[in-house]
Formats: sequence, C-alpha cells, structure tokens
Amino acid sequence: MRDFDLQPAKDLGLPEAERARSLQREPGLVSLLTSHAWWGVVRVYLKLFHRLKFEGREHLPTQPPFVLAANHSSHLDALVLAAALHAKHRRYVFPISAGDVFFETKLATAFSALCLNALPMWRKNAGRHAMGQLRERFAAGDAGFILFPEGTRSPDGKIKKFRAGVGMLVAGTDVPIVPCHIAGAYQALPKGAAFPRPRTLKVTIGPSLRFNDQSNDKTGWTEIASQLYTAIEELAANAEN
Amino acid sequence: MDPVSRARLFGVSDVFDSPITLWGTVGVAALLVVSPLLVLVLSKAGRIDAELRKELMLRCGSWAVIAPALLVPVLLGAAWWIGAMFVLSALCLREFGRITGVFREPMVMGAAYLGLIALYFAVLDNWYMMFAAVTPITAVLILAAAILSDRPKGYVQRVALGVLGFTLFGTGLGHLAFFASDAQFRPMLFIIIAAVQGNDVFAYLCGKTLGKRKLCPNTSPNKTIAGAVGAVVCTTTLVVCLGHFVVADGMRVWWLHLLGAGVLLSIAGQMGDLVLSSVKRDIGIKDTGTILPGHGGLLDRFDSLLLASPVIFYFVAYFRGIGLDQPIRVLTVG
Repeated sequence: MRDFDLQPAKDLGLPEAERARSLQREPGLVSLLTSHAWWGVVRVYLKLFHRLKFEGREHLPTQPPFVLAANHSSHLDALVLAAALHAKHRRYVFPISAGDVFFETKLATAFSALCLNALPMWRKNAGRHAMGQLRERFAAGDAGFILFPEGTRSPDGKIKKFRAGVGMLVAGTDVPIVPCHIAGAYQALPKGAAFPRPRTLKVTIGPSLRFNDQSNDKTGWTEIASQLYTAIEELAANAEN
Repeated sequence: MDPVSRARLFGVSDVFDSPITLWGTVGVAALLVVSPLLVLVLSKAGRIDAELRKELMLRCGSWAVIAPALLVPVLLGAAWWIGAMFVLSALCLREFGRITGVFREPMVMGAAYLGLIALYFAVLDNWYMMFAAVTPITAVLILAAAILSDRPKGYVQRVALGVLGFTLFGTGLGHLAFFASDAQFRPMLFIIIAAVQGNDVFAYLCGKTLGKRKLCPNTSPNKTIAGAVGAVVCTTTLVVCLGHFVVADGMRVWWLHLLGAGVLLSIAGQMGDLVLSSVKRDIGIKDTGTILPGHGGLLDRFDSLLLASPVIFYFVAYFRGIGLDQPIRVLTVG
C-alpha cells in the first residue's frame, strides 16, 4: 500500500461513461459505499444459499498488489473469490471481467463499475496493451486483480487450458499469484442457466506463487500459465479427496 | 416552522420586489441568448476562426447550464439556494479529492462529507453558532478518522488535504449559502455573483488590451498586472453601480461600503483564482475535470468564489448585519 503522494486520479479527465469502462478507473467514495452494500448482500447470500466454505484462507495476501486466479465455470466464481477477501481490501480489488458481458449496456456498465468494481477485458483484443495497462497499476502499489486464466467459463465444468494473458500480467515482477480452486459453482450455476441452484460451494486457496525469475516473453508467459494450471489442478485433486 | 422563515425559505411572492433581481434575471437571460448569436455573427463576418468559434460556443453552452443552475434556486427561495450550494460544495470537494489524490482515503473524505452535511444543516436551520462550530469540529473529525487506517506514513498530507478541502469548499462556499439567512438574500447574491464572475471577464479583457508586465508568471502565465488592476477598478465600479439600485430599495448602504466591498470582492476573487492555479501547477494538471465543456471542472469555474465568499460575508455582516431580524434555529427549535 502506497504512502500518500500528490497524484491525481489516473482516470482524471475522462467523461463519466468512458471512465466507467476504463482500465485506469480508480473508485471513489460513492462506488466504495455501493460496492460495500452489494458485497454485504452477496456474502449473506453465498453463506445461506450455498453454504460457502473456505479452506486455506491463511494463504490470502494481506497487502496489495496481488492476483487471485481460479478455475472458471460460473458467474458465481468472481463473487465467491471476492467474498473470500477481507472488507478492507475490496476498495482496490478489481475482478477482470468480460467486456462483452459486463460492459455491454449502460446499465450493466454502471452496475459492474459501481457494485462489482470490475475492469473490462475485451476478448477480441485482450492483448499486450490491456495487460500492460494492468501491469502499470501494480507499480502504483494499490491494485489487486481477480482473474480467470481460462478466459471464459468452462462449458462442462472441467478446467480448460490456461491462456498466456495471466503470464503477461506478472512475468518478471514480484507480484504474488494466489491459486484458488472453486468447487460446486458449475453445479450451482452453469453457463446458460438462468437461476442458481442451492448447491454447496467450496473454495480452496493455495500458497502464493511468484514469477520474478520468468522472462516477460512468450516462453515465460506459457510457463507461468502451465505452472499455475498445475497448482490449481493439485488444489482440485485435494478438494476431491 | 414560523411563517417568517417559511416565506424566506420557500416564498416566491416577493421574488421581483427588488429591481436588481428583476433586471438581473432579464439581463442574464438576455446574455444567454445574445452571446451565442454574437459569436455566430463574428464568425460569419470572419472575425474569429472556426476553432475559436467552437471553443466559444462550448463556453456559451456551459453557461446556459451554469447560469440557470445558479439563478433558478435564488429565485425559488432560500432553501433551494442552500440545496444548490450543498450540491456544488459536494461536487467541488469530490473534484478536489480526485485531483489531489486524497480521494484514495475514504475515512478522510467520509469525515469531510459528514462535516459538509452538518454545515449545510446549520445553514438551513439558520443557526450561526453551529455553522461556526462545524469547521473546527470537522477538522478534529478528519484528524481522528484518518488514524483509523493505521498508516502513519503520509498522515500529515492526508489530513492536511482533507482539512484544506473542507475549508475551501465547505466553509468557503458555505458562507455564500449563509447569505440565504437574510430576507434580502436575492439582491445581495445577485451583486456578489455578478461581481465575482464579472471580475474574471474584466481581468481577461483588461489584460488582453492593456497588459504587459506579468503578475506571477510561474503560477499563471497569462495574468498581467494591468489585468488585475483593471479588474479591481471595473468590479468596484460595477458593485457601486449595482449597489445604487439596492440603496433605492431601502436598504441602508453607504457608497463607501460599496466601494470597500467591490475592492475586496475583486482582490479575493483574483486570489481564489490564483490559489486554484497554484494547486493545479503543483499537481501538474491543466483542468480539474470535464464536467463543464469549454471550462474544465467545477473548480476551474468557481475558484474565484472560494475566498471571496467568507470575505464578503463578514464585511457585510460587520457593516450591515445579515439576517438579524430573522428567527434562528428554525428546524431545531421550531
């Protein structure tokens, strides 16, 4: 967490509509209050309706910057991971979400920006530029990201191959990636389902990985993606036993 | 609520009793229509190029929003004016937070907004004792709230910016709202706002035509000594002339007081402008926001009111008194 410095908001000068969709967005008091209200409701819902349980919460980082990465099979995933974090972290934790789902309409954009504190990733050009912008936010010291390296929800609940994007984010930096495994989300709310079913959710959080020795190029990125995949696979195997 | 306060807060039957309110409203409406037409005529005649024309039209468009936003609440009654000033203060505080970075401290900003609510409640209540108390109490609240994040590194900067922001946009603008405690708030606000906004225009015009020596080139490179002096002369003349109408209206105003008020308004107005310029230079930004096309942020437009409001408030309060005949504590005592 940075000490105080006389730096204007990075999104200063953007019109409100553009600001909501900007990767540079820095939330203020209004979005802090709305997101606290939203997460308060979500936590209660997850606890009561899905009997949400956590394992390995001691591995969660206490200081930004960090990345939480998990398998992805349901819209519940981001909610579940954010619910694992302490309330005081929520201000600078941004779920990286699909631009074409969460930022398509004005209403969706307002909800995603104000309540979820989400940042959009446009799948067509989720390339180096966008990842570079997110990497810059680590340097400022007060950003944590929730992301799903598969890039999209798995259609059958099985973990798909990880994309290299997560590597672009952390290669050669000291930012820890925390591997998480979410069980039960596919059964509760699979892709295409309109309403969630009351299935139990369990999150297993593993010890964090650091990739400061990986080169920031294609080999490094794929290496990071495969190491992360192995870590989450292991968590999945342990969770089943 | 007593009928006197109700009439002051919500009454519109006496809106145009003062000639200055009537003619001021007509004048503002006329300016809003004439200015864009003038720009069009000048552009047709080839006196201004397309870029300047676009810039001027943007400014006219912004004024078409700002002027009614200020004018209509004044006409509707004191409560509306207080509400409008509350919104303005809150938006200015938000903008200040975003340019200085103190918006990253929710505790500091939260304490400042709480202070703002208390301050404007005191204005609505017409309870000067509470109004005066809110500023030091909010300072204490900000100092205490900032401890909660338990990060001593940067503590001084965080609380200093919080208190500065509250003083400028809460206390400073709050004094302009407190004029609403006087039955004659409409003519007084008309003169003050016309003088301060006119002051900017006078400084610009005098500087353009006469200016040679720079006033403070590092802070604001376009300001000249001639512009500053010219603005003092023109604004003072404007205040004395406008004040003449008020004298005719039966308020006891001596022309020497008007002279003093004009000089103070002009100097404090220009100081406020320079204060904001210094803040922006220090941070390294040009505009404080994008809310007003052609102007920038709200702070870029209302900077000159920040220091002028408390100065003129206490000047008027000392020599004339503000709201002395009005019931106080209209909400808390009833």
